[in-house]
Amino acid sequence: MSDTPDFRELVGEDLTPEEELELARVDSLLRSVPAPVTEVPGSLTRAVERIGTATPIWTRRRVLVAVGLAATLAAIFFGTGRWLDRGFDARATVQMRAGKSTPDASGKIELGKRDEATGNWKMRLVVDGLPHLAGNEYYVLWLAKNGEYAGACGTFNVNGRTTVDLTASYDLSEYDAWVITRVGQDSPWLLSAET
Amino acid sequence: MATAESDSRLIERVGRGDREAFEQLYKRFARPVLAMALRQLGDNGRAEDAAQETFAAVWRSAKSYKAERGTASAWLYAVARHAIIDRARQKREPAAEAADEADVRAGPAERAEESWLTWRVHSALELLPERERVVIELAYWSGLSQTEIASYLDVPLGTVKTRTRTGLARLAGLLEEVRA
Repeated sequence: MSDTPDFRELVGEDLTPEEELELARVDSLLRSVPAPVTEVPGSLTRAVERIGTATPIWTRRRVLVAVGLAATLAAIFFGTGRWLDRGFDARATVQMRAGKSTPDASGKIELGKRDEATGNWKMRLVVDGLPHLAGNEYYVLWLAKNGEYAGACGTFNVNGRTTVDLTASYDLSEYDAWVITRVGQDSPWLLSAET
Repeated sequence: MATAESDSRLIERVGRGDREAFEQLYKRFARPVLAMALRQLGDNGRAEDAAQETFAAVWRSAKSYKAERGTASAWLYAVARHAIIDRARQKREPAAEAADEADVRAGPAERAEESWLTWRVHSALELLPERERVVIELAYWSGLSQTEIASYLDVPLGTVKTRTRTGLARLAGLLEEVRA
């Protein structure tokens, strides 16, 4: 094994001066940059494949209604500074609706205080009625905009009624909906809610 | 870069909601984006998240791309940088501080220059035919000699030499105005 490639070994001896100059320039460029990644993880490709694949369900009117409803809920919960169970300082709760493929599922997202230093929202997700996933499969909580996946908030699996603590650093006002999907499938939205 | 127009066309098609163009763009830029994220975040999981956010941002904002304002590669680079910096801020770590050794020694301007140069070279590599890209990557970053590459790929030595030289010549065209 050699430490660096030998330029002569790479290009041979029969180059014109112009060709040699050009290949030497490229040789120098290649030596000046770090190695590219060897391969792209399948998990990234699968996640990117899902971008923009959801069917838009939010009309402008529905978005406005949802934003109004969310603002009202937020005002109620922020105003009372409500504390919920298990010591989680929930400032607002968003109930999720079940999709057609999981009619018996339910879920809610409790939004905690936003950490001023990091900008992270603390969140507690409580889901029930979703099947436990075997192997490498898992669920993903997304923020969606215009019916499309726009920001991943974390992955999880379930076993019966399950509580998961997550964080997100997004500006929630820029998104329309919370969505739970199953990764690795073109599955419909399992649970969703307006932000 | 000779393929800038082609990249531009892809982004414009993505802006019109063309999934096929988006997939092509992903295939072309996934490795450069991931490599940049890995260098700057230093963590596989966070780099993957940043890469995912980059392509989500590309899908969302491709319609805002204007070819007359700059090359497609520069636009994609800016989108990726933004996503990576956002991801770094979530952990209160400046994006550049998790960079590799060379980056740590350099000042901000040099780091930016190195990052851009790396992006250009990695992006150009993605445009080579697979057979040429593989031999060049093995030659420059695996430490294998041409003979060892021939053995590794189970092809004649002459084939390795031809592919290497053809690939380098093709890169010279793709990176016509780039200097180390």
